This record gives sequence, structure tokens and C-alpha cells, in this order.
Amino acid sequence: MTGQLKELIRKEMLIVLRDRQTIMLLFLMPVALIFFLSLAMEGVWTDKLTGRKIQLVVKNESASFKAKLLEQKIKADPAIQALDRPDQDNDLILADGKTQLVVTIPEGFETGNHPVELYFEPAIDAGYKIAARSLITSLAVEVVMDIDNLEAVMQALIVEKTKPNRELPTPLQQTVPAYAIFAMFFISIPLSIGFLKEKNDGTLQRLFTYPVSTHLITLGKIIPYYIINILQFILMLLVGVFIMQHFISHAFYLGEHPWQMIPVTLAVAAATTGFGVMIAAVGRTQEQASTLAAVSAVLMAVFGGIMVPHAVLPAVLKKAAVISPMYWAHQAYLDIFLRAAPFSGVAPKLIVLTIFAVICFYIAGRRVKWI
Amino acid sequence: MNALDISAVTYSYGNKAANALNNFSMSVAPGSMHALVGPNGAGKSTLMRVITGQFRSYAGRVTIRGRTMPDRDTLLSIGYAPQPISVYTGLTAMENLLFFGAMAGMPKTRVASRAQEVLEQTGLADHARQLVSTYSGGMQRRLNLAVALLHSPLLLLLDEPTVGIDPQSRYHIYETLTALNAAGMTVLLSTHIMEEAQRLCRAVTLADKGTVIYDGPMSEIDNLESFFLKKTGRGLRDN
Repeated sequence: MTGQLKELIRKEMLIVLRDRQTIMLLFLMPVALIFFLSLAMEGVWTDKLTGRKIQLVVKNESASFKAKLLEQKIKADPAIQALDRPDQDNDLILADGKTQLVVTIPEGFETGNHPVELYFEPAIDAGYKIAARSLITSLAVEVVMDIDNLEAVMQALIVEKTKPNRELPTPLQQTVPAYAIFAMFFISIPLSIGFLKEKNDGTLQRLFTYPVSTHLITLGKIIPYYIINILQFILMLLVGVFIMQHFISHAFYLGEHPWQMIPVTLAVAAATTGFGVMIAAVGRTQEQASTLAAVSAVLMAVFGGIMVPHAVLPAVLKKAAVISPMYWAHQAYLDIFLRAAPFSGVAPKLIVLTIFAVICFYIAGRRVKWI
Repeated sequence: MNALDISAVTYSYGNKAANALNNFSMSVAPGSMHALVGPNGAGKSTLMRVITGQFRSYAGRVTIRGRTMPDRDTLLSIGYAPQPISVYTGLTAMENLLFFGAMAGMPKTRVASRAQEVLEQTGLADHARQLVSTYSGGMQRRLNLAVALLHSPLLLLLDEPTVGIDPQSRYHIYETLTALNAAGMTVLLSTHIMEEAQRLCRAVTLADKGTVIYDGPMSEIDNLESFFLKKTGRGLRDN
């Protein structure tokens, strides 16, 4: 019996891993998604959490000491990246797409009769606009009122603190588990196509002419895909940890309890394999099964915070996300990578994934027609 | 003791009004090559699947060398080559044989040597390490037969073993079957090719619409095709 199971697993693995389309779907697609979408998300993430320098041009029309001092202070501020655009019209400067603001210091600004002019790029983010206005205002006040360092004075009055980030994942924290899970659910395509192909060409029927039980044949179908699912996650993790760090500024952090990846990955693989077996059991033709699998996986990804981080979804979609098993899988990984959650925090998500797997296997068991 | 006895077997697919097999009885003598002929819908493939234990909810009795089916151990005395080419095209011929050998519970060392033998018997030895997806139809059909022969069965069930292949492959299969039968293997051959059945087989069962309409020695029939058309009519069987 063990020998038969071993051969059933070997046969399935050989067939799956020799199929180029399957390799592309299960391994290359998620690697490509992780690569490109991490890079795409990096800018958004940097803006949101670490802030980006305000790019501006200073036009100093005054030769006074205070005007020169203001110009120096603006250019020296760590939040500012001053660009050099010699004597161009404001609209022409902003047209380059890089400059967000033109600061004009007029002659006699220190008298209070000629204000400093801030000319903003119309599509500038409201947050940046407020930050830029408040920064230039502070610097102008310092210069006009001869205050050495206004920020130092303000620190005595205002203390700034930020809650540690436990919500918004870095690009790699988002994409590595997200697209690993996404690809793991795509296992349903080769699984269902393989099963239906065996039914159509008679190899499955032929197996029943040997003293092999249906339980063994079922296990021979489930175990290889379960192993492939785990291999998929390991590969994505390796890509995230060892390869992506060369392309992206925020390295992949595995969290404080990386061992929790083991139970989470086992539970996710059970859910994805269960889903695949269910699709194989309910699909009547290979075309029907592959369409059903692909559409379901994409919808689960959309709702589950795979394609757009759950933290930035609107409230309604955040609530709707719980219907997607991908949400529970992704949140379980984020508990590890982002939130440093104890196992008791991860466990409920594993229970949900296990229940999903059991339901899928149950439906498959009820619906499957071997012959 | 007969190699195979079918006694009053009735089987229905459930979704069809008529029975696929209706009180079907026939016997195959040990060491004989027995033809099973009939038009489409006669129940030939259904009978094969009943004998091989794929369909189990039938009325009547199937015995193989006196043992009532379905019986797990007796399954191993049957070699079955189904009508569709039922081998894994993503594996090589050798991998297919090693796999099906393991399913038959054969020890690894025995499978390897038997696989080589059946590949030689079916003329595929030079292509053993080639993926089956690269095989021609005739080669795939011969591998289908090789898988059935692998575990040295006593009773060989062949469902249309030469359909859709070139004359060379068909001739090779006939030669192989003749040699196996001469060596003592019992063969039940389901076919539409009357000339093939008449030349190779000593006995014939003619079935139509799930019922036996003739069961006897081939020697009593002058021309099997004329006999077949006379018994089953010349009308088309499209249903």
C-alpha cells in the first residue's frame, strides 16, 4: 500500500512538474507579480509611511541678508529637495513633472509688505501642500523674527509620537505572502485539469481494475499538490528574502516568530488543495474547471486584500474581505511578518482555513464521480 | 472450469431507460481466444467494465476461474486494455509500466524486468524512455496493450485493441495476441473488425442491445460479417 501511494505521488509529481504551462502558472507568475508589484508599491508605501522629500524651486529676487538666509534655510531643510531651474517661468518649471512647488522670495519680504509666494503644482497631494506651507511659514517666521531654531522652541511645547506600524505592510510584506497565496490557489487549475483528463482518457478507470482503493487514489492526488503548494510558498519566501532586497529599499522582515510560518503554511496549503479538489470534483469539463478555478481565485484575491492591501481598502470592502479564504491566509502571514502576534493571535485564522479546507473536501467527496 | 463465466448479468446506467446489459450470459473456455462482437450500444464495453470491477452494482454473477467477482485478488489475474488509450502521456513508456506494475502490487525488481519484456513484445523497447505524448497512435495503442500484459495475467480483455491504427501496428498486435494465446493465455477480444475476429478466434459471442444473440464456435459461421449483418440488421445505429 505504501509502495502504491509512493508511485501514485511520484506519477502525479512527474506529470505536473514536466508541464511548462503549470510551472509558469504556479512558480513564474507569482515571482513576476512579487517583483513588479513590490516595485510599484514601493513609491506609495514610502509616501504613506516614511514621507518623501518635497521637491521645490526657490526663486530669490532679493539681495538682502534675510532673503539669502531664508533661501539657505529652505535649501538646507532635510524635508526639502531643492531643484535648480535658472530663471524660468513658474508654469514652465512645474511642467517638468518633478517640481511640486516654486517659492518666490520677493524684494523687501522681511518688511511684511511683500509676502513670500508659494506656487503649487495643481495635482500635489493635500498632505504635502499642508506640510510644505507649514514648513516654509516656520522658516520665514524664524528669519523675520530672528529666532535661531523655531523647531527647537516648538519641541518644548509639542511632543510628537506615532503608534508602531502594525497595519500597513511594507511592499514585500504585502506581496510575498499575497502572491504566494494567490499562486497556491491556482493549484486548482492543474489539479482539476489533471483529474478530468484522467477521467476522459480512461487512465482513472484503468486504475480501478487494479486492487487500489479510492482512498489511496484520492491521497495520491492530494499529497503531491499539497507538497507543491508548500514548495511554492518556500520559493516565494526565498525570492522575498534573498532576491528582492537587491531591487527594493525595504528588506523583507520575517517577524519575531518566524516558526509560525510552518503551521500557517500547512493550513493554507490544506485550504488551497481542498479548493482544488473541490473544483476537480464539481467541474464537468477541463475548460469549465479551469475557468471556474481562475475566476474564483481572482475574485478571492480582489476581496481578500491580495491585490490591494486590506489596510487601505474602504470600510465596506474591509468587512466583505472575511468571505475570502485568501484574506484569512494573508492576515495570518501578516500577523507573523508585521504584527509580531503570538500564536494565540494567529490560531483563529488557522481554524478558519482548516474549516474551509474541510468544507471543500466534504463537497468534493459528495460530488466526485470517479467513473 | 471456465476462464470466465457471465451468468444473467443485468446492468443499467441509471439515466437510461434501457439496460446496457440484459440478462447477459456467456462463457470463455480456458486457453481460448474468444470474440465479442456487436454493433455500437451492444454492451461490449460495459461488459468489460463489469468484469474488471469498475461497475459493481449489477445483477447476476461474474466468475473468473470459479471465483466470484468483484474479488480483489482475482483482479490481478485479468489484464485489461480499454478502448481509449489509457496511459499517461506525460510519462515515458517505462515510467507508465513501472507505475502500473506498482498498482498491480508487483515487486520493483520484477516490474523492471517484465516491463522490458512487454516492451520488446510490443515493439517499443527502443522507445522506452520517450514521453508517450511523442508516440504515434499505433505506438500508444501498443503501449496500452503492454500495460495490460505487464503483470502476466491469465485472462486478457481487449476492447477494440486495433482501432484507429496503421496496418503495421495492427499486424504486430495480431501477432502478439496469437503468440500469447498459443502460450496459454485466455483472450476475450471485443472488436468491430469481423475479419480480425474470424481469423483469430475459436469462439464468438454476438451481442445486440445488451443481449446475447449468438454464442458458439466460430467454425459454425462461414462469414462472420454476413452473419453479423443478418442477425443485427443493416439499419444505422446512431443512438
